[in-house]
Amino acid sequence: MNDQIRNEIERIEESAKRLQTLAPDNPAILRNADILLTFVYILKFITPQLPAR
Amino acid sequence: MDYWNPYLETLPRETYDEIELSYFRTMFSYAKVYSKLYQEKLKGIDHEDIRTLDDLKKIPLTEKEEMRKYQEIDPFPYGGLLASNIEQVTTFRQTSGTTGKPIYVPETYESWQWRIEAWCHILYMAGFRPHHRVFLPFGYNVYVAFWEAHFASEKLGCELVPGGALDTKGRIHKILEIRANGMMNTPTYGLHIAEEAKAMGIDPASLGIERMLCAGEPMPQATRSRLEEAFNCHVFDHIGGTEPCAWAGMCEAKDGLHIIEPFFLVEILDRETLQKEVEEGEIGVAVVTPLGRRSFPLIRFNTKDLVVKGKHSCSCGRTSKKIKEVVGRIDDLRKVRGVLFSPKTVEEVIRKDFHEIEEFEMIVERRGLMDVITLRAEPNPVLTISSIEQTKARLHESLKIATNLTFNVIMETPGSLPRYTLKAKRFKDLREGGKNE
Repeated sequence: MNDQIRNEIERIEESAKRLQTLAPDNPAILRNADILLTFVYILKFITPQLPAR
Repeated sequence: MDYWNPYLETLPRETYDEIELSYFRTMFSYAKVYSKLYQEKLKGIDHEDIRTLDDLKKIPLTEKEEMRKYQEIDPFPYGGLLASNIEQVTTFRQTSGTTGKPIYVPETYESWQWRIEAWCHILYMAGFRPHHRVFLPFGYNVYVAFWEAHFASEKLGCELVPGGALDTKGRIHKILEIRANGMMNTPTYGLHIAEEAKAMGIDPASLGIERMLCAGEPMPQATRSRLEEAFNCHVFDHIGGTEPCAWAGMCEAKDGLHIIEPFFLVEILDRETLQKEVEEGEIGVAVVTPLGRRSFPLIRFNTKDLVVKGKHSCSCGRTSKKIKEVVGRIDDLRKVRGVLFSPKTVEEVIRKDFHEIEEFEMIVERRGLMDVITLRAEPNPVLTISSIEQTKARLHESLKIATNLTFNVIMETPGSLPRYTLKAKRFKDLREGGKNE
């Protein structure tokens, strides 16, 4: 399940970064996308990739 | 039993260790690149040298004094403690400065949200849920604890009511007016609200508070019981600080505090050598590394908090490490007449067995070559003169047994001792070089 969650988090990350490239002159979109990336960081932190056994 | 993060809170011990080691190595490398403090401090140690948790011993502890020194360099006001671009800082906090110049703590939006996520664990463990209307009876100022409580309550879905800019009576009226059913406060201020409510003719148990989370001071079991009895509610404790964040909290089992893993790597070290981990049931100093907060990295921060190491299991099902009890600050321990003395012991005695004492303070002074320790105690106004004398004699005896010290006990007029809203200062060491707490 964790792998599926991580994949979804990575999709959000890509999407937020794409938003930033689509609106480089729009501070509101840039900042809101940046905030999405903050939560991507936290989501990754709370779903650590477990060491391979 | 449910959890804020079921995935993270029930991991096997060895998995926690592996994750924390991996996060530690990442934070270590980050700090070495972006923090001027750690560029200097960690010179000569590489993250490749950290292969096991035992290898942490190769890294010196971070002390508050050196942080003060690095704070003096650019950029103002955070200096070499800041590890991100200053334009990314969105929140300023600072320590209270009771032991020296305050430390200024920069939080980026990311770091602040990371702190809040860790705090959500504390609130959820203490049973706070979206149906709670949580009253915070403080103006938060620049101090972190109640800001964290505020934002974590909001994130968890509680309804948050800020209660600053009111006096205690006004806060009691507000609790009743809006039917608050949760509250967060220092233990001292919780007791003061109860006392004030009684003086207003209101039984504190009728205020409707179901859950109370305390912060800011060590809370002896007897004080927690006294709060539970006064408000007829569940009272929970947690531990943390401005620099390391809040790093452990109490669950519904109320049997010690769970370390918030894997947010924090916590070592409990022998207080004399600060080298080896103590055994379960022993007192040690908590050394904390926050593992995901990048704006202000701390590697092996010496909190100077004295705690009793707990067991690893809990009836709540969480598998994180626990501390059995918070003993107090290492700075609070004093030698009085050659005896090691902790003010918390006195609080424990009074809260447990002397319900007729409303407030108290302790003073140590030197008279000639002798240390003299005095307890100023304020009895409940309904006590008769003869019962005050009996209480005085009992206090003298109980304190002698609990501390091995002979106290000069003075019974004061009701209402004469100061009341505190934030950290109480009930211990005054007036000897040369002494500090007041």
